[in-house]
Amino acid sequence: MIDVTFLLLLYFMVTTVLAKPEDRLSPTLHTQRDSAVSSASDFQPQIVEVMRIGDAPGYRLGASIFRDKAALTAALRGLPKAPGVFINVHDDVDVAYAVAAVQAARDAGFEQVTYVPAK
Amino acid sequence: MRFVTARERKRTLDIEVTPMIDVVFLLIIFFMTTAQFARMTRAELALPLELGEQEAAPQEAGLVINITREGEIIVSDQSFDLAGLEQLVREEIQLHPDSPPQQLKLLIRADRNAESARLNEVVRLLQSLDVGSARLATEVPR
Repeated sequence: MIDVTFLLLLYFMVTTVLAKPEDRLSPTLHTQRDSAVSSASDFQPQIVEVMRIGDAPGYRLGASIFRDKAALTAALRGLPKAPGVFINVHDDVDVAYAVAAVQAARDAGFEQVTYVPAK
Repeated sequence: MRFVTARERKRTLDIEVTPMIDVVFLLIIFFMTTAQFARMTRAELALPLELGEQEAAPQEAGLVINITREGEIIVSDQSFDLAGLEQLVREEIQLHPDSPPQQLKLLIRADRNAESARLNEVVRLLQSLDVGSARLATEVPR
């Protein structure tokens, strides 16, 4: 019985350790209350569009288009951090691209990252 | 009267097995319970492969919203439509009357291959309820 008990313990310990490690990103959400307040803001919003550009998904920042996260991160590093950044996600791209854009903004040093669903 | 001499007395080291078995059983119960709880709250999804914020001690979210590749919304092993999810979030807000809904922390676990349309619908719903932030779960690449 002790053998079986130890095997069970070993099984549950190993399966717990083998679970995929998870982390999280915490973008703010642009609430209706914020929308009313932000109209009075002095800052020009910096917006990253996550959308299909041609056949493939990509990122648009102003007039620039990026196909991968590394290039987007590099471009975001050069922007002022105080106004924050809006990640405007269109419906037809995969979640992976939306989350990658949030991660790129965080990696570039933005504290204020706002997730905005495209209309 | 016969006395036992020192040589006759067997010097054995007794190991108490009973407390060890108790501890082992407690450990098994702990791992079984946590595994079952994790299975209930966290659906099997391919999360976006990102590092995340790498916080030392991330706060646990109360409500975990899973979005599958097909766009199905699953909370605690049950499938919900948007109306059902709205009801759940309202209940979660009512559970914390001291904190405003802007500070309500939710965890959204969305499959990386799902279209953002469903995630956007969930975010719009949270926005309409004045929820100020949500955590997006990622899978840390090994």
